Amino acid sequence: MGLAAPLALIGLLSVPLIVAFYMLRLRRSRHLVSSTFLWQQLVRDVEANAPWQRLRRSLLLLLQLLLAVLLAVLVARPFAERPAGLARDLVLVIDASASMAASDVFPDRLTAAKRAAIDAMSQLPSDGRVSVVAAAETARVVANEATDRGRISRAIESIEQSTAAGDLTDALRLAGKLAERARGAEVLVVTDDAGSAIPQVAVSSPVRVLAIGRERDNQAIAALAVRADSSGLKRTVFASVANYSSAEVVRRLQILADGTAVTARDLVLRPLSRADVVIDELPPGTQLVEARITPPTESAGAVAGAQDFLSLDDAAWAVVPPDRPRYVLLVGPGNVFIQNAFSLLPNVELYGTTAENYAATSADPLFDSYDLVVFDGSLPPELPGKPILAFAPPRSSPLGEVTGSLDSFGLGQLPADEPLLRGVDLSRLHIARMQQIELPEWARAVIPGTDGPVIYSGLRDGLATTVFAFDLRQSDLGLQYAWPILVSNLAGELLGLGPTALDPLAPSAPIELPIPVGSVGVRVTLPDGSVQEVVPGATGAGTVTFVDTRQLGVYRAELIPDPAAEPDPAVPPLPSPSISPVPSPATVTPAPSPSGLPEPGTADEPLLFAVDLFSPDESNIRPGDGARITALGSGEELPASEAGLARDEFWPLLVVLALGFLLAEWMVYERDGARRLVNALRGALPARTGRRNS
Amino acid sequence: MAEIGTDRQTRRDLLPSAVDPTVFDESFLRQLERLQLITRTAVHGGMKGIRRSVKRGQSVEFTDYRDYALGDDLRALDWNVYARLERLFIKLFIEEEDVTVHILLDASASMATGSPDKLLFGKRAAAALAYVGLASYDRVSLAVLQGRVARRFPAVRGTGRIFQVLADLSGIGASTGATDLAAAARHYAAQLTQRGPLILISDLFDPNAERVVSELAGTRCEVALLHTLSPDELDPPLEGDLRVVDSETGDGVDITADLYTLDAYRQRLAEWQARLEQVSTKRRVSYVPTPTTLPLTELVFAELRRRRVVAA
Repeated sequence: MGLAAPLALIGLLSVPLIVAFYMLRLRRSRHLVSSTFLWQQLVRDVEANAPWQRLRRSLLLLLQLLLAVLLAVLVARPFAERPAGLARDLVLVIDASASMAASDVFPDRLTAAKRAAIDAMSQLPSDGRVSVVAAAETARVVANEATDRGRISRAIESIEQSTAAGDLTDALRLAGKLAERARGAEVLVVTDDAGSAIPQVAVSSPVRVLAIGRERDNQAIAALAVRADSSGLKRTVFASVANYSSAEVVRRLQILADGTAVTARDLVLRPLSRADVVIDELPPGTQLVEARITPPTESAGAVAGAQDFLSLDDAAWAVVPPDRPRYVLLVGPGNVFIQNAFSLLPNVELYGTTAENYAATSADPLFDSYDLVVFDGSLPPELPGKPILAFAPPRSSPLGEVTGSLDSFGLGQLPADEPLLRGVDLSRLHIARMQQIELPEWARAVIPGTDGPVIYSGLRDGLATTVFAFDLRQSDLGLQYAWPILVSNLAGELLGLGPTALDPLAPSAPIELPIPVGSVGVRVTLPDGSVQEVVPGATGAGTVTFVDTRQLGVYRAELIPDPAAEPDPAVPPLPSPSISPVPSPATVTPAPSPSGLPEPGTADEPLLFAVDLFSPDESNIRPGDGARITALGSGEELPASEAGLARDEFWPLLVVLALGFLLAEWMVYERDGARRLVNALRGALPARTGRRNS
Repeated sequence: MAEIGTDRQTRRDLLPSAVDPTVFDESFLRQLERLQLITRTAVHGGMKGIRRSVKRGQSVEFTDYRDYALGDDLRALDWNVYARLERLFIKLFIEEEDVTVHILLDASASMATGSPDKLLFGKRAAAALAYVGLASYDRVSLAVLQGRVARRFPAVRGTGRIFQVLADLSGIGASTGATDLAAAARHYAAQLTQRGPLILISDLFDPNAERVVSELAGTRCEVALLHTLSPDELDPPLEGDLRVVDSETGDGVDITADLYTLDAYRQRLAEWQARLEQVSTKRRVSYVPTPTTLPLTELVFAELRRRRVVAA
């Protein structure tokens, strides 16, 4: 038993002060009445005019003295000590990944984890220091060597639920580093230990686990995608629903197109299995597809089966690829390889002009309608503000500095994850001659060469641009199977037609949004309706990175026009290399003009992108016992000599007592306050009784 | 004193400023004229009136016979009795005379407090009752209790003298010193020569208030006690630690005006009023609690009629 703040007992000096106040006579204000005849018979304590009076026995005085003593002791913080159950230096790791949103414990696992962590702080030694690490998609230190329990509790409470897949590896690695700073430190992990992934880290300190969660029943939408068929005319929805519970369940899969229900199917899901659904009847012009799983209605006679404790993965969204025709202008003498390859692409119309007539064509207002300009062996003095595909640029330009031509050169190592080379076999590629070009800063080498890039691509001032350093006629690429596949991939990057453009983002994954000339930033509307404006860090940057993708759902990005720029009524859509712009339903396919050019398209089209939780590790919410996490630690027991003493403070009891004394004091002071309250209630009761009698 | 005119406009102009003319409008005065202060016993009067007197006189109401005496009016002889008994008897009739209405107004310093002003309320009530008396052909005697004495105004008779009453009332101011109400009442009782209705308008804030009732009841008048209290006295709007100061003596009493104290005050006030009413009933005095918020018309036409002080 001890006092944490013994100096607070100075407050006991208030006791004689209170007694002195009772002995002092009160200075009262004067109030004229007609007669004191009646008052004189009421008041007894009016005899003397001396400044001091005799102390009388008073219940009020007694209560006030008790309250003063109690408050002084309360501030002094009396406590009792006992052996602590935790190390003096503790690193607390709280799992906040998506699976912690499961509601099998009330109200959800994360809240229960926070509560358990705060309760565990009572086992901390009185001089214990706690570092708190929030483990979601990344590890984040929310409190570092804090000693104040209130601050620790606030730090724990500040941890927010993440919708992303979590990985305890980073968090444990960080916790291990924090624990290494002190001797005898301990790592306490509060997690549901769900998922199959085992953190790949070894911690040099003992690791203890507080396991959260009871049930494993969950069903999830494991995948959702919309694809165009080979003809490019039909859109097909592919959905996959997984059952992670150990019982057979029935779930209704609803497909909504732009918020309108299209179809619903009851799926019988066997234990620990997936069911794939393909739906072809997507209405034309659909921009957005949403899938939901719900328990079947009772009228259907189906038994829902096991519960679904995680709601985050019960809905998914997919952006539909645009089906607006894309217009491509080929500038050059004519190239059968290019013409044939583009003619194979769905929704692509190819128009042509010569280099000599390019100036006249570009001056035509209809020139704005083109989505891509292909320069075959030539370049105009001024490049158009559109995506460009260039073959063998003859001179230096913003596309790259041409330093010469090469007749002998070698191909470099092809990047493994290059999206343009997906499915492209270039093992038999031969090139006779190519231009030697310095790789610009905005580009990446698609096919690196020994003396310069052979093909490079990137965002030039927000415009997708790909450059072939060689003329197709100087290679056998046009004769290979790889050529149409490569063009198809190029169309995905340059025209936004590729399947990769529509893949959903994972929660909290950053996305690069292009900013074309004439725009100063991007306004992003989040799924909850909030709006964020993102501007590039440097003036003139062609892209901006948006990182706040923590919410699941559909994000809508719109360009913020530059007020200083000349007004352009037809702001082009966002030509993203990674995300496809979705055309407005009002977009009208332009009819070919007499000159063979299409009419300009309609105006601004927002960019949509979806963020979905397609994570089997998070959807599989089966809680573990934490043994595999405990095994990552050193396994050493904390020596008894290292264990500190934990304190149990009595202030909650004292606060209750103080409030009780305060209430009693008030009741004594306002003696008839309670009586008045009772009388008022009684006054209200006869009215009701009267109504009942009547 | 202003000359009293007969024209209505002139009369209204002559109303004392202390009395609100709208209170005593023509309609109100007509209503007052229909009232009469009740006297339960016949008393000696001074002049011809409409009330039964203990005297025998010239009215049409027969009361008794007596033997004829030399000098009696032969017209009063009952010839029928003489024919039957051969003795001369004189028929006696009841005399109808006026009575003196005594109106006593407490003008102590305590009456000047309260909102509305108790003294102003008392003046208005006194004026109304005086008019009732004048309209009943009674003599009205107004007196003010201040200090230890009762200051009497000359008795007046006839409705035309109401303006003199009003002028007298308007000239009354609250005293500045202490008032011994019992001594003043005793002083008035000692001067009283003619019995009749006696109305005391007072707040009775005097430790000897019960003696005041006894002194006035000893005059054998028909005493009515209008106990006038202001809302501030019935329900004091006080709060906190105060020193309440007596308006007459200047003495202070320290109080803590919490709900408990105020409830105790109200209880004490109710007990005091009940005791006064009990003493009054015992001494055949009509006790009329009169808060100053009570409208004058309601006091005269409802409360005083209900208490049998006035009748229609």
